[in-house]
Amino acid sequence: MSLIASGYLTPANVQEVVSLKRKLRDKALVVAGGTAAVQLISKMIIEPQAIISLEKVPLNYVKIRANSIEIGATTPIARLIRSRGLPDALKRAAESIHGLALKDMATVGGNIFTPAPAGDIATALLALDAILILRGGGGVRSVPLSKFYKGPLQFNIRPDEILTAVKINKPPKHSAFLKQTPWKYSGPTIASVSVSLDLDRNGKARRAMVALGGLTTHPYRAKKVEKMFTGKKLTEQLIDGAAQQLTDGVEVIDDALASSWYRRELAQVLFKRILYDFISRG
Amino acid sequence: MRIRFKLDGQDVEVDVKHTDTLLKVLKDKIGVGSVNFGCGEGSCGACMVLINGRLRYSCLTLAGYVDGKEVTTVAGLARDGELSEIQKAFLENDAAQCGYCTPGMILTAKVLLEKNPTPSDEELFDALAGNLCRCTGYIPIINAIKSVAKR
Repeated sequence: MSLIASGYLTPANVQEVVSLKRKLRDKALVVAGGTAAVQLISKMIIEPQAIISLEKVPLNYVKIRANSIEIGATTPIARLIRSRGLPDALKRAAESIHGLALKDMATVGGNIFTPAPAGDIATALLALDAILILRGGGGVRSVPLSKFYKGPLQFNIRPDEILTAVKINKPPKHSAFLKQTPWKYSGPTIASVSVSLDLDRNGKARRAMVALGGLTTHPYRAKKVEKMFTGKKLTEQLIDGAAQQLTDGVEVIDDALASSWYRRELAQVLFKRILYDFISRG
Repeated sequence: MRIRFKLDGQDVEVDVKHTDTLLKVLKDKIGVGSVNFGCGEGSCGACMVLINGRLRYSCLTLAGYVDGKEVTTVAGLARDGELSEIQKAFLENDAAQCGYCTPGMILTAKVLLEKNPTPSDEELFDALAGNLCRCTGYIPIINAIKSVAKR
């Protein structure tokens, strides 16, 4: 590590990152693509004593196996678009990130930590029941994304751990992602919805996963709706009823971008669009 | 810390802090005129540069990242005082008005056309989604890029 005295650290592998994290803990800022992390510095929110840049750590990969998918934490969004065999939800979420530069800079791992109005990839991954692989002084730990968010900007990660990969076990057969931005080709996410489904032979939902983004600091799973779907054949009536439960008990963001009422309505619309489209295709 | 990199083909050496952005270093320390501060959060594209040929927001890139790399600004696209094809096309199509967004627009167009020499309208708008123009209404910019795509 040539630049160690400088405060800009470029570890060569995960082991070196972990040993730096053990030494520096929260005094160092981990930077992957930089699209979110660098703003913390330039907006003077934090003043880290050191930067741990992941630019040389070989975590830029997509591995598609027979029954699982593994994506390295520093894989840029653009690579998801190029990769074949990824679930539709993930692909659509990647395509929806605006502009060439952002797609090429922003990383899968970074997106998981970035609060609304970012977090589109995280929303899709949540609906795909992704598992996070964390490496720290104590070894490797797997944490389901659904158990990763403890509160706004509070994560189930220890100070000496880094996220190395995201894994999707048994990728669902059907998945979709839709989001709404203030204008067509760019802009912050007002609301996003991602749904994954596995159906049995009779067309009944064996597994249904529904994630909502942009409504809260981090995306969440609509567990109540998932329960309503499980074991049932999807009908317009069931979908309409479920849509009304999407934001039940959830405190939805109300800001200059959109009111909480608007976000709730929008989430229902996106959810219905996804599922109507799904049942119309049989 | 001291970093060394190539800026539009010239070797540069500069002292930076580990928290300095590349934009700050290019603009304030080196005096580059064609990178602009717009939003500071990757929405407007006024600060764009190429780093080893890849399109980057310099406001979201730490200066330490370019140590040992090649940085190209829009000025670096000209050769021996001759504008590149895409730069000429922007002139011919009146695709610049105040000019603040132009460097980012041209760099984005260059990267897009390298990847996709004949983009559809949809692909063009999608690629330019990270660049904001408040003067032209985008149409002259789209026309300029299309005129190069056709050639």
